[in-house]
Amino acid sequence: MKEMDVKGFKALALQCRFELSDEEAQDIKNEFDVLISQMRLLDKIDTENVEPMVYPFEEPTSFLREDVVENVLPIKEVLKNAPKEKNGFFVTQKVVG
Amino acid sequence: MNYETVIGIEIHCELKTKTKMFSSAPVSVNSQPNTCVNEIDLGHPGTLPSLNKEAVRLSVMACHALNCEIDPLIKFDRKNYYYSDLPKGFQITQQFHPIGRNGYIDIPTDNGIKHIRINRLHMEEDTAKQYHSGDETWIDFNRAGTPLVEIVSEADIRSAHEAMIYVEKLRNILVYLGVTDGKMEEGSLRCDINISLREVGTEEFGVKTEIKNLNSISNIEKAIQAEVIRQTELLESNQPIEQATRRYDDVQKTTILMRKKEGSVDYKYFPEPNITPVLMDPVWLKSIIDNLPELPDHREKRYMDAGLNAYDAGQLIQNKALSDFFDELIKETSYVKLAANWCLSDILANFSTKQLHEKAYSLKIKEMGNMINALGKQEISSKQAKDIFVELLKGHDYHATVKALNIEQVSDQSVLVQMVEDILNENEQSIIDYHNGKDRALGFLMGQIMKKSKGQANPVITNQLLLEGLMKRKP
Amino acid sequence: MDIKTLIQSTSVEKRVSDAVNKAHAVQDKLNAMVSFIEPSEQLKTLESKSKDCPFYGVPIVLKDLVNMKDTRTTGSSGILDNYISPYDATITKKLKDAGAIIIGKSSCDTFGMGGTNMTAWTGPVANPYDLSRMSGGSSGGSAVLVATGVVPMAIGTDTGDSIRKPASFNHIVGFKPTYGRISRYGVIPYASSLDHVGVFTGNVKDAALSLEVLAGRDDHDMTSSYLPVEKYSDLCIGDLKGKRIGIIQNVIDSIHNPETLNQFKELCQKLESRGAVISSIRLNEDLMHAFLPTYYIIANAEATANHSNLDSLRFGVLKEGQTMDESMILSRTAGFGKLLKKRFVIGSYALFTENQEEVFRKAQKVRRLIVEDVKRVLDNVDVIMAPASGQGAPKFDDASADQLSKEYLIAENYMALANFSGYPSITVPMGMVDGLPVGVNLTAYAHHDAKLLDIAYGIEKTTGIFNVIKEVTQ
Ligand SMILES: [Mg+2]
Ligand SMILES: [Zn+2]
Repeated sequence: MKEMDVKGFKALALQCRFELSDEEAQDIKNEFDVLISQMRLLDKIDTENVEPMVYPFEEPTSFLREDVVENVLPIKEVLKNAPKEKNGFFVTQKVVG
Repeated sequence: MNYETVIGIEIHCELKTKTKMFSSAPVSVNSQPNTCVNEIDLGHPGTLPSLNKEAVRLSVMACHALNCEIDPLIKFDRKNYYYSDLPKGFQITQQFHPIGRNGYIDIPTDNGIKHIRINRLHMEEDTAKQYHSGDETWIDFNRAGTPLVEIVSEADIRSAHEAMIYVEKLRNILVYLGVTDGKMEEGSLRCDINISLREVGTEEFGVKTEIKNLNSISNIEKAIQAEVIRQTELLESNQPIEQATRRYDDVQKTTILMRKKEGSVDYKYFPEPNITPVLMDPVWLKSIIDNLPELPDHREKRYMDAGLNAYDAGQLIQNKALSDFFDELIKETSYVKLAANWCLSDILANFSTKQLHEKAYSLKIKEMGNMINALGKQEISSKQAKDIFVELLKGHDYHATVKALNIEQVSDQSVLVQMVEDILNENEQSIIDYHNGKDRALGFLMGQIMKKSKGQANPVITNQLLLEGLMKRKP
Repeated sequence: MDIKTLIQSTSVEKRVSDAVNKAHAVQDKLNAMVSFIEPSEQLKTLESKSKDCPFYGVPIVLKDLVNMKDTRTTGSSGILDNYISPYDATITKKLKDAGAIIIGKSSCDTFGMGGTNMTAWTGPVANPYDLSRMSGGSSGGSAVLVATGVVPMAIGTDTGDSIRKPASFNHIVGFKPTYGRISRYGVIPYASSLDHVGVFTGNVKDAALSLEVLAGRDDHDMTSSYLPVEKYSDLCIGDLKGKRIGIIQNVIDSIHNPETLNQFKELCQKLESRGAVISSIRLNEDLMHAFLPTYYIIANAEATANHSNLDSLRFGVLKEGQTMDESMILSRTAGFGKLLKKRFVIGSYALFTENQEEVFRKAQKVRRLIVEDVKRVLDNVDVIMAPASGQGAPKFDDASADQLSKEYLIAENYMALANFSGYPSITVPMGMVDGLPVGVNLTAYAHHDAKLLDIAYGIEKTTGIFNVIKEVTQ
């Protein structure tokens, strides 16, 4: 498991596209230490040969959606919440390809 | 030093479905921006994916045609990264359980058939399209969520030419299956080329670069050639090759750095919790495979068995729409070689691939078959056929055209004998020329007869009669 | 008043306007509502509907995670403060079809991520039984609106215990059915593999009636169940004879409050006297200690990915920077509260490729062991049961909980077992402990929703506690 310090949490937050104040980062560090202690409770549990459980019910389904057009949003609805738009496009600052 | 080029290719191919991979919004074909989307494609809060059956069917077809093992249990994963063209902040893809594995295709090379292994084929969703304008980026989410398959080859390719053949062949297979329209220029088939050099005889791979956004088959060849030169020069001068993503510049004829790989990005892949694994019905799976359309290799062999040479057969199958036309045509005529010639010249000259594909022409294939049959039986001349073809293009019938153009063939022996006699009588000098070995004289005499008959003399019989007449008048 | 009686004894206009007026009247004290929805359009649509609709003209509220076209849905977050839903959640459609009149969106912990309702962007929600105490969360707004009799039913969501804990703190019924029973399409997620939609009601039969309306296969949610929807309310008989109830001894052992234990014991005796077969069961204690970290890791890992869509590019509150990346960062920094950031960071940590095996996948493996253990105990009983909390709702400023104590790890967090397993689970009122409500929680095997509701109804008949309304205005 990767060691984490305040700086590391700030970097991790940026990867998640938000910033942490010093106080927030410290707070996470503190909670993280509690979590690590709680995680030790997991260490006690033998999970050898146990498959990770991803879904509550694991029986596969057979449903596949038919390829039929059903739901298209009118452009007015598409752009209704757009923070910035021009000529039917969403707009942001220039990004490099 | 001698270097060997090592190439692996990743192909992203848009599937020809009506709706998106995970939503029932239509797949956009040159639509107005953001008019082919719903809340799912835009990644609105609360939306969930719903997997497209047709996308799965097309992927199964592709897997089978590329000789992949098919995993009947479909699972998806999340690939997490933040970018303005990725609405959910993750792409739903098949990282851990690709639908297809361990496939291959065989490509023809100068040293014979070569086996190119395919590591995996997986389903995923496309991103939005971005346009850059001044200091802004404009985003159209129409493409977002379009079904894709990604086909990843092993690093088995050893030259620019092989790479080109591989992509061409793979594209052709997918187009024949109807899985994609395969248009590289329009981005429905996109290639990323991983390329590195190593000293001949060594096993270890060199540092690779990735060339992205190649928009034509010929650019694949050119880009690889340019990159091989660039990497060779670096190696020769003992400079390191940097792992990076590059693009090919068609004007400068070289590859240009897009971005360096600063430690690889952690995509934090994990299984998509909103898609319970889907077990494909074995009956359905079998029916997809049993009903696979004819693949180009098979068609090529069929053409050659029918008497075409390898070149013509190869040319025909390169263009599926033309090849489909040819298949229709040879239902009407057994003059296969003639049919192929006409397809590869006049049909290609008169129709675009799009027209052929959409059958957007008035020409009746049955009537064209009649014409080729007449030509084969030498009831008409090639010249007459060209004139007739012009009328057939307008949608006219063969027999009506022949009548309208007054192209009744004169095959009556007595009429033709008289005509030959008349012409020989009028052209004493040509008879002498002929017997003196001037072959041109024969052509001249034939021409005169054709002129006299207004082109309606049966050329085969006339030719025969003319030769007999000339023999009789040997001085 | 139960829903059927409400429909029979009042006019649509009256019950809707009563609800709207009361919602406004309690807002000052409880802060339960994020947005009010003007009901006139829905009332007009109702005119064309049959009076037999199960929710005919019944005022209800949606947790602020549920999309309803043309209404504001913020997830009680800052970043979606201006978000107007362009579509209906599947349950919104179903509720409209059933004749319900949606009068507003209720406050919750941001995106359902919390247990206090103190992280809501609009501030904490107060407990009507003691305004200095928390409502519980994450579905706190919905809970107190039912507890104060504003509406007879409110939609909640439950990822760890977010319906069943606030129900306990507010003397009402809180029910989450089997995973996949109610479609999640259109409901802003917390953690997809643990999220459940459910309801708060004043009594068990209303919860059963609500399930009849909300349940059913939805092709928009690939995890949704194909099993037929039953007449759950008709199946509520309440006869406890021969019903096997397993008491989760680990939970009892970890509760300190003697009054809670006393009341629970009394309840068990009463149930026994009505023919229930009470036994004591024990879950694996090591696994129980691991519930919270297991939950925390899985939930937050899924959550961090689920909310990566919040970039203020297509919707949401934009704080513009110099570059696209900077705009994303500024918007998310400004629009996420401190607790949310904490959870996203930790969730993201769990997903690091180098950590996944040890953290995320380890938690997923423990989840399987937990579910197997729960299944094991349910092999021999119809339901398992324990108090839904060790005591009543904590004070707002209570930070006393020792996050490594047995009481905290087990008694306060065991109900997540029904989220790990997807099993149906319900909280019904048990009684007052130190002047505060405490509920009792029952969990049954997957898809035994009808059986669970039937037994819960039997318990409700035993306690006689139902349709309790706590007034907070004079
Ligand atoms: Mg790739
Ligand atoms: Zn890809």
